[in-house]
Amino acid sequence: MAEVVTRQFVPASQAAVKDVQLRQALRRAGSGFDGTRREAIAEVSEEVWEGWREQARKIKEHTIGHLDYYLAMLERNVAAAGGQVHFARDARQANAIVSEIARRNGVKTVTKSKSMVSEELGLNHVLEANGIDVFETDLGEYIIQLAEETPSHLVAPALHKTRGQVAQLFAEQLGVPYSEDIEEMARVARVALRQKFLEADMGVSGANFLVAETGSLVIITNEGNGRLCTSAPRIHVGLAGMEKVIPSLQDLAVFLRLLPRSATGQRISSYVSMVTGPKRAEDEDGPEEFHLIIVDNGRSRLLRDPALRESLYCIRCGACLNVCPIYQRVGGHAYGWVYPGPIGSIVTPGLVGVAEAKDLPNASTLCGACRDACPVQINIPRMLLHLRHQQAESNDENERTSSDTDKLLARGFANVMSSPLLLKLGRTVGRAVSKPLAKSGKIGETRLPLISRWTQARDLPVPAERSFRQRWRDELSKDGR
Amino acid sequence: MSQPPPVRASLFVTCIIDQLYPEVGVSVVRVLRRHGVDVDFPEGQSCCGQPLYNSGFTQEARRLAIRTLDALAGSDYVVVPSGSCGAMMRVFYEDLFADDAENLERAQQLGSRVYEFTEFLAKVLGVADDVTGDDAAGGDATGSEKVTYHPSCHLLREMRVRESPRRLLSGCSGVALVDLPEAEQCCGFGGTFAVKYPHISEEMLADKLATITQSGADTITACDMGCLMHIGGAISRQNLPVSVRHIAQILDGEQA
Amino acid sequence: MTSANMGIPSAEFLASVRDALGRADAPPENAYEPLTDDLATLENRAIEVRERIAGELPELSRRLGETAALRGWNVTRCAGVEETLDYVVSLARRLGATSVPRSEQSVFDDVPVDAALAGVGALCWPAVYDGPDSREGIRRRLADSSMGITGADYAIAETGSVIVLPRRGLSRLVSVVPPVHVAIVRQSDIIGTLDDLFALRRLEYHQNGQSGTADMGSYLNFITGPSRTADIEQTIVVGVHGPREVHMVLLDEE
Ligand code: SF4
Repeated sequence: MAEVVTRQFVPASQAAVKDVQLRQALRRAGSGFDGTRREAIAEVSEEVWEGWREQARKIKEHTIGHLDYYLAMLERNVAAAGGQVHFARDARQANAIVSEIARRNGVKTVTKSKSMVSEELGLNHVLEANGIDVFETDLGEYIIQLAEETPSHLVAPALHKTRGQVAQLFAEQLGVPYSEDIEEMARVARVALRQKFLEADMGVSGANFLVAETGSLVIITNEGNGRLCTSAPRIHVGLAGMEKVIPSLQDLAVFLRLLPRSATGQRISSYVSMVTGPKRAEDEDGPEEFHLIIVDNGRSRLLRDPALRESLYCIRCGACLNVCPIYQRVGGHAYGWVYPGPIGSIVTPGLVGVAEAKDLPNASTLCGACRDACPVQINIPRMLLHLRHQQAESNDENERTSSDTDKLLARGFANVMSSPLLLKLGRTVGRAVSKPLAKSGKIGETRLPLISRWTQARDLPVPAERSFRQRWRDELSKDGR
Repeated sequence: MSQPPPVRASLFVTCIIDQLYPEVGVSVVRVLRRHGVDVDFPEGQSCCGQPLYNSGFTQEARRLAIRTLDALAGSDYVVVPSGSCGAMMRVFYEDLFADDAENLERAQQLGSRVYEFTEFLAKVLGVADDVTGDDAAGGDATGSEKVTYHPSCHLLREMRVRESPRRLLSGCSGVALVDLPEAEQCCGFGGTFAVKYPHISEEMLADKLATITQSGADTITACDMGCLMHIGGAISRQNLPVSVRHIAQILDGEQA
Repeated sequence: MTSANMGIPSAEFLASVRDALGRADAPPENAYEPLTDDLATLENRAIEVRERIAGELPELSRRLGETAALRGWNVTRCAGVEETLDYVVSLARRLGATSVPRSEQSVFDDVPVDAALAGVGALCWPAVYDGPDSREGIRRRLADSSMGITGADYAIAETGSVIVLPRRGLSRLVSVVPPVHVAIVRQSDIIGTLDDLFALRRLEYHQNGQSGTADMGSYLNFITGPSRTADIEQTIVVGVHGPREVHMVLLDEE
């Protein structure tokens, strides 16, 4: 599995917010994607859009609710089309299956089109350790592979890199002359990969959707690399999280409308490719073998908890990242694993364990922008709250976020707020304590623990001389009568 | 002909206004009364439980929520001068009491009677019905106070109140409503988020301050004292020439 | 073909999914709508779709052209076969194309591009193996070509997409490897929406399943505009791994 550094969220995000280039990149991408997304919605009208979201959510709800049934249907129909389905419990198993397929077929070169699941599995490293050359072919993925980094966004993996950084990277790694011309850089990638496409023995792709009715794998791409990876090599291996299945071919229509619009604002992507089994006898291109690997890798944990189940409806469009004020400040890498942003803050604890990712559900203001943007209406804030509750009240010390002091404070607060007497007393103490600290009614910078985290940037008001309830008794209650 | 009976409403003032900003509560009462509302203040109330709920302390949050349900059981309407606390009562109580049928029913009952302050004015009392849309502010702004409005997240996305605050401000004499760029971006408060992740919160706050300055407003207003404490705390720290007022204070005609 | 499935047995995997869902091994309590369609329903729907399309054809064709242009196609409307051939020839001239692969499709029986291009000294050839080429050889020839021509099995007005189904020959690579792709769309290829497409494909799929002969076909590819990327600073560049230039020739009936 890909390395997990989610524990480093605080220091990583502290560094990230100070990174001016990163902030610029995030701003450009975030407002760019979100702007075109909004235009695309306005074009079809809010009402039509809401209808689509509704429909898509229903489909997901039904499918995930009967996931075993549709996976079984999928398996039957892939087999009927001459392909093979393999089920993997975890990353290790999935990697072993791909390695075994490669070994049996004497595979030397693999071309890959973008797959978040393969990032999750850390597949490239495993294949490389087996002496196989692996080439990412999506431009963004190619860039981060050369840079030995991980993707920082669900749909734009190299979003954090400026053109200058890419130019530098290409010059160093590929020996081409330094050029910041983006068209030239795309050409460099085209030339570098063209031959690989035609000579690769195995193509690996992800899956945006799996259609149970027909046993088809659907990928949505723009560059054409996905078409080449799934058509040119002898073997095609598709990797998919088990939640990717939808029941009927007919269900695909609404997702083809929602996904590109939500992701980049495109009305449809350049290519939608539906692969159903290997090439048939009469086809002269296309792979001779088709393998589909269905991966659990922690997803059944999300499935098991009814409050988190809807996180599996996600179609990885990235819209929630583009509108998230936190993601927009800290970028994808701070989240410490493959899936960043609001949905990552739910999926990551689910897949790598709550204990590893304690910060993620808390690093949110619960502003709700993600839920409004989500094409399948996933209620992300509600799930973040659910995870916070699990963490605060967990019996497992490794998972618990609240210290004993936090608990005492919470209980104390509840006690004070539950008792008029304590509330009054609390006020008196509060005023007495804050008075010497305050200047003209406000507390400025101070070294007091806890409070200083507020006052390092903001003044803090002190309790008013008379509370509202006092003033109600003193003056207001009579006025109205 | 006899007058229709006055609308009766209970004020849920919120703990932050009660303790830190009582003058806001006073303005709320004055505005409601000016519109003929028979306002009462159930004294059993304190905090709705949201700070605890958002930090994961459901047990404690439930205790406060039950107190709130008790205190407000007899009210026709409940008016809350905060989108955040309003959202807690209308939306999150249902989750909080998901496994507690009796309180769930009481929570749903309360939810149907809870209104955020501006929502109540607009929806129940029909105030500012004649003011249309966003650009009512046009007009002659000379001599008026230039006010810009920050829509707080829970008001906007949990309570779904978008238009009424702007409409009310537009209809307010002496006020020129000016646009806040990127208004719907979160200010970075988020309750305990502000102290748990101050480095992120402060970045968001800085951007909010920049857009406020950009708007050219004399005054920043919102329907939530939480966000305003956060925004105002930084305005005060940086000595920016912008006054910070809850929308009730502006509607109350109180000058800065 | 490699042998048995690897990983864990599907029964075990599915049981663990069921366990997580707390569900018994049974079909959904309420049968799922589209999947309950029987052949007659699918047939009727396909007839409806075909009839509606026939009724709206001029409008659909207009919309297709409009949408396709927005999605990045160079759209040309040709009044007949002559005009179509002229367009293809002038394009080949401009590109200086000497070798033009094409798919093996019936549209080329009506639109004899081979002969027309031969007239200007370009060799237009069907990308099939039964020629003198090896698999590698034909791929190399494809890679060296400056344009490829296909028909369209469907062209969708809603999205401006052209769909080419797999068939004899290298039907997949002809439209993606050369830097310029020309798709010739006849009136009869035009459909309205994604829903139309899936209604028609589902009928065909289930019909085939009935007689036990065929299935979905190995591949169904939507092409909508040129290959593009925005992976560096969100700046759009066309012609990454696929064609930088795509032409849709709308062939109106004579
Ligand atoms: S959670 Fe929703 S918005 Fe976010 S990536 Fe998934 S589908 Fe897109």
